Amino acid sequence: MEPRFLPSTKRDNWLGQLAREYTLFFPARVEKKVHWHRLEAEDLESGDSGPEWGLCCIRASEPIKSFLFSPREQVASFPDRLEPEEPEKRILFGVKDCDLLGLKVHEKMFLEGDFKDPFYEARLKNTILIAADCPDPEDSCFCNLVGRKPYATEGADIVLSVLDNGYLLEPLTEQGEELVRLGGDAFQPGTEAQIARRDEQRKAAVEKLEKTNPKPWNPEVAKAMEDRTKDQAFWRKHAATCVECFGCLMSCPTCFCFLLYAKAKEAKVERTRIWDACYLAAYARVGGGANPRAEFLKRFINRFQCKFMHFKNQHGFYACSGCGRCFKVCMGKIDIRKVLGEL
Amino acid sequence: MQKSETGNRMNPYQPIPARILKTFDETPNIRTFVLKPEQEVEFLAGQFIELTVPGFGEAPFTPSSSHFKRDKLEMTIMKVGRATSALFSLKEGDMLGIRGPYGKRYPLEKFEGKEIFIVGGGVGLAPLRALFLALTHEVEKYKKIFLRYGARTPNDIVYKSLIPEWRNLKRVDIDLSVDVGDESWKGKVGVVTVLLEKIPCDAKNSVAVVCGPPIMMKFVTIGLLEAGFPGDAVYLSMETNMSCGLGQCGHCRLGPYFTCKDGPVLTWEQVKDIENPFV
Ligand SMILES: Cc1cc2nc3c(=O)[nH]c(=O)nc-3n(C[C@H](O)[C@H](O)[C@H](O)COP(=O)(O)OP(=O)(O)OC[C@H]3O[C@@H](n4cnc5c(N)ncnc54)[C@H](O)[C@@H]3O)c2cc1C
Ligand code: SF4
Ligand code: SF4
Ligand code: FES
Repeated sequence: MEPRFLPSTKRDNWLGQLAREYTLFFPARVEKKVHWHRLEAEDLESGDSGPEWGLCCIRASEPIKSFLFSPREQVASFPDRLEPEEPEKRILFGVKDCDLLGLKVHEKMFLEGDFKDPFYEARLKNTILIAADCPDPEDSCFCNLVGRKPYATEGADIVLSVLDNGYLLEPLTEQGEELVRLGGDAFQPGTEAQIARRDEQRKAAVEKLEKTNPKPWNPEVAKAMEDRTKDQAFWRKHAATCVECFGCLMSCPTCFCFLLYAKAKEAKVERTRIWDACYLAAYARVGGGANPRAEFLKRFINRFQCKFMHFKNQHGFYACSGCGRCFKVCMGKIDIRKVLGEL
Repeated sequence: MQKSETGNRMNPYQPIPARILKTFDETPNIRTFVLKPEQEVEFLAGQFIELTVPGFGEAPFTPSSSHFKRDKLEMTIMKVGRATSALFSLKEGDMLGIRGPYGKRYPLEKFEGKEIFIVGGGVGLAPLRALFLALTHEVEKYKKIFLRYGARTPNDIVYKSLIPEWRNLKRVDIDLSVDVGDESWKGKVGVVTVLLEKIPCDAKNSVAVVCGPPIMMKFVTIGLLEAGFPGDAVYLSMETNMSCGLGQCGHCRLGPYFTCKDGPVLTWEQVKDIENPFV
């Protein structure tokens, strides 16, 4: 759909309109990090738009999966039944392309298999995604290595690029188009010069990423990883500094593992789903105590094979977005790029 | 599959109630539960269900009754830990929850016209009973059904009262062994592989189906392959940790498979490249 231009001066007006109809979250810059922040319509009206917006920053510290695949939620009860409620309508304003890849992985797992997760489905349906380009990738970013770009071209309702004195917005869906329409004549048709400027910014971002991560991975990563399965020395070297804190898995936008556990109240069962981590020792343990991945090294290998071998073989793309969160949080400074680069 | 009552969106995490009609002890630590689910559970032999133990949690089990008789569901369960102990404390009349069925059924169409060699160990005979009953229900479709079963002691044999009836079925051949016998035991003695010493069928053109403790699965598989069963005709019940049963949570990962969705029965051909598939 046609790109539209929103001058900076008209932004808050439009945001106010959105925030009245939707719960709107945006990336806020807090010190050197970016966190998701809720926009309050009243704050806008009072002229206080809260913390500084970080649309041009890299992805927020928290993966957006938290909005759709809740870290902890009740999914069933017994004997009384529990059915999903209608979730609130939300806008995530300023998601990054690497965030969108995470959602793509979760759609494969939660919506495209034999069973649909109705909780995920309902939230996704009520969530509008406005993607924002990354004009300035950081050293931890490596979306280029997983075959992605630092800007979205699909998977969002609107793609937004920050220009010098305003925003260029390209709606990708009817829902996105509608949001733009809501802004009325605040929006003007995007000009060729604006589009050219956007493309220039995008090109510069890609070049920066290629400079940070110049060497592409082995195109047969899945195969190479399979061949390495039994190469203990290789894995031991890379796992050496891991302290088993699971920070990498908890911050990862693509990790989908969960555990169903029951909170028992007398004869009642409240079944709760929580995020789980395949690095946990008891993760694969079976009744009676046997455990196929009792050794940490096996769990370490399993995580890599899950993302780069099994998922790739089954769905055609890596379950890794190149977001760099896992090694930014890693106390042992294990850089996933180094592991993959040596395959 | 369960439909939501409040809308057409289905909640796959939501169990349906099932009443315990009857229980009977098979062995000192294995009990059969006869359940009456509120709605019929449309399982086929090989598939499993997730059982909710009220006041406790869930665990995966395989129906041991025939899929041709679905008004009641039987499950034969060994007490091994927390969930199963809680289950053993329930009485006739108590309520349980059921989700499922999940996983793949035995591909019975591939068994047609063939000799079928079934090997069970311990409580592993439970899922195999569902298969055995499905096969004998339409026995004319199959050439012959061999059932081999090993238990620790004569006291640990499950379905003691049923086995004599099964022996009388046509095209059925049954042999039992125990690791340690007693005065009254007249059958084979030794680990379950003694049952493989003389395999009476044409292995190359037959199928084998195995379920039992990991160590037994391992040695029986080796024996079957040595006897000439093709790797893709050796069907193995893989036990992994399971949480969702839906192919979503990741817990049942076994090499490239999620056993809850791709299994729980996989062929040797499918698992042969996995390091240590039987743990
Ligand atoms: C497809 C399938 C079909 C099955 N069919 C049958 C059947 O027909 N009959 C039968 O008897 N059995 C069957 N089983 C096995 C049965 O599911 C297990 O015996 C049962 O789950 C044991 O539950 P438990 O709580 O009693 O055992 P426990 O040993 O107490 O624990 C079971 C669960 O808790 C976890 N766990 C154990 N210890 C810890 C710990 N310290 N910290 C965290 N987690 C822990 C394990 O990972 C496991 O998931 C089947 C299993 C599968 C996968
Ligand atoms: S990894 Fe790529 S898409 Fe993600 S924040 Fe960095 S530059 Fe943007
Ligand atoms: S594995 Fe690391 S870099 Fe890849 S998506 Fe997960 S957190 Fe991001
Ligand atoms: S048990 Fe959850 S994916 Fe198999």
